[in-house]
Amino acid sequence: MFKVGIIGSGFMGATHATAWAQTLAQVAGICSLDRASADALAAQTGGRVYDNIDALLAAVDVVDICSPTHLHHEMALRAAAAGKHIICEKPLARTYAQAREMVEACASAGVKLLVAHVVRFFPEYAQAKAIVERGEIGRVAVVRLTRCAYQPRLSANNWFLDPAKSGGLILDLMIHDFDYARWVAGDVVSVYARSVRGRQPDAPEDYSLAILRHADGALSNIEGAWAYPPPMFRTALEIAGDAGLIEHPADSSVPLGIYLKASEAGGTPDVGLPMSPMLEDPYVAEIKHFYAVLTDEAVTPRVTAEDGAAALRIALAASESARTGRHVMIEEVLA
Amino acid sequence: MIRLGILSFAHLHAEAYVENLRALPDVELIGIADDNVERGRYFAQQFGVRLFDSYAALLAEKPDGVCVCSENARHLPLVQMAAEAGAHVLCEKPLATTLEDAQAIVRVCDDAGVRLMTAFPMRFGAPALEIKKLVDAGGLGHIYGCNATNQGALPEFHQAANLAFLKRDWFVNKALAGGGAIADHLVHLADLLRWYLRSEVTEVFASANQIMHAGRVQVETGGLAMLTFANGTFASIDCSWSKPAYYPTWGGLKLELVAEKGLATMDAFKQTMSVYSHSVGRPVWSYWGSDANQGMIDEFVAAIREGRSPSITGHDGLRAVEIVVAAYQSIESGQPVKLS
Repeated sequence: MFKVGIIGSGFMGATHATAWAQTLAQVAGICSLDRASADALAAQTGGRVYDNIDALLAAVDVVDICSPTHLHHEMALRAAAAGKHIICEKPLARTYAQAREMVEACASAGVKLLVAHVVRFFPEYAQAKAIVERGEIGRVAVVRLTRCAYQPRLSANNWFLDPAKSGGLILDLMIHDFDYARWVAGDVVSVYARSVRGRQPDAPEDYSLAILRHADGALSNIEGAWAYPPPMFRTALEIAGDAGLIEHPADSSVPLGIYLKASEAGGTPDVGLPMSPMLEDPYVAEIKHFYAVLTDEAVTPRVTAEDGAAALRIALAASESARTGRHVMIEEVLA
Repeated sequence: MIRLGILSFAHLHAEAYVENLRALPDVELIGIADDNVERGRYFAQQFGVRLFDSYAALLAEKPDGVCVCSENARHLPLVQMAAEAGAHVLCEKPLATTLEDAQAIVRVCDDAGVRLMTAFPMRFGAPALEIKKLVDAGGLGHIYGCNATNQGALPEFHQAANLAFLKRDWFVNKALAGGGAIADHLVHLADLLRWYLRSEVTEVFASANQIMHAGRVQVETGGLAMLTFANGTFASIDCSWSKPAYYPTWGGLKLELVAEKGLATMDAFKQTMSVYSHSVGRPVWSYWGSDANQGMIDEFVAAIREGRSPSITGHDGLRAVEIVVAAYQSIESGQPVKLS
């Protein structure tokens, strides 16, 4: 039986654990700084809780790193040294130098490094990519991607809001669309970006816009927010080509609207948001794909370690541009 | 009675202005003139309006004001003639294709003592006015940024009828239009944001390409610009000609303001219904919202009647031209360009 160890028992660790349950793999171990949530996840998956990573590594075939971003590098290097395959949440690392070291360490150790850029598994994004690949809209000219939410809220230890740990909005959230833009329009050569925190690091919220220039001349406009009124979360995509156009605006494909009257007790209904349900969750699709890649040499990964490093490099260029106001060439990003 | 004329039908908005002027009870459309004689004859007949032999002949009738709808690069000579004839001017956007021409347009009107209004109809759009009220009332607080689009089909497609002399191909001629998508579509949002934010643009970054309609036109068809305002707000504007010829409408103008107190979105031309007609063979979004051009023409006429400056001036047109010129400088240099 193929054994998986999950590092981190927060939202993403729990999401991945649920997804692994739909494969033939077994979640054999969980390692987390938060014992209570690790115990809860262990109870759900049947795995054991490990106090240290080395003990976990000894007990599994693959580690699934769902820890805060700044910890990915060290954990991945230990896993590679132990000869274990790695699934790593995005962003691959906190710095480009770390990402390069991870990619190289995994290559020399002969272990796979798969980066969880889950947007590639969202059906609408995968479908738009397929339409582009089939040549239905011709050569890509202008890409527009939006991903806007409210500031992440964690009751304790909110590492998302510490740029040293998460890299902030640009590295944590916008990286999804940097990766997607690169997937549909090719390598990025330069970035110009603005953000609220780029110029005012102590601002209470963040919002950012970035313009990417791709190697073959295509342009991308990427929007990201941690400033929306909760509980709003919107994504949108548009790809214009020289022979057609794909539009997928925010809220355009929501099949359900369930708006319940407040109860007699005067409370508000729990569910007031539009919903777009799927028979298979994209996280499940992602984990099933990774399982297939790890167990069948014939399966090519939809997202590689190099893709993860390239997306991080774009995000770091955007951060640098937002901070300095310069148009940043991607090759400038070395660390 | 306010007496008005239209100089040139190079710009398709001239057709709309005929109807807008006629909708006003105390306005007389004295006639039109066009250096493209066939085009002038065509529209004079279509609208049942008097055709003058020349711009000078129309101006000799001493109209109170004129709408200048020539090609962008040909605004200055017509504005100058009108100003010298004592006619107030509503000039199509962008005011000019160069800073020097835009400055000259403002100067000749000032010197002649006539009012100059730049045609920025978006300021009169009903949804746009709601956003203005919200912003002015402080309902959004500080605006962090704005993600905006003013995309369209290739303007060559904006043709009234399939007649060679009606072809609006000057829109894709760099010399006459001042450029491509950037010259055509950056100014509406640049002006709207200056108006909303009450702040001037201090820096412009832009990037463009010619992937769409490559080979067919010699100007940029894809363009993204980022404006930074003195108050710190930044705005990205997609001005691409990225809508296919068979898109259900000509294009559109949308913006999204992300702010301290929340989010406001506007889709200026969303008030449409979808029409599926066998005769057209594709879906068409039929617009039923208010006519922003009418609001703009009303304001031009009111300013003339009341002897006051219009709410949008030549200065506003000049600021927008500065932004376009800076965008082209940025495309050339690859660097953001500062505006003083």
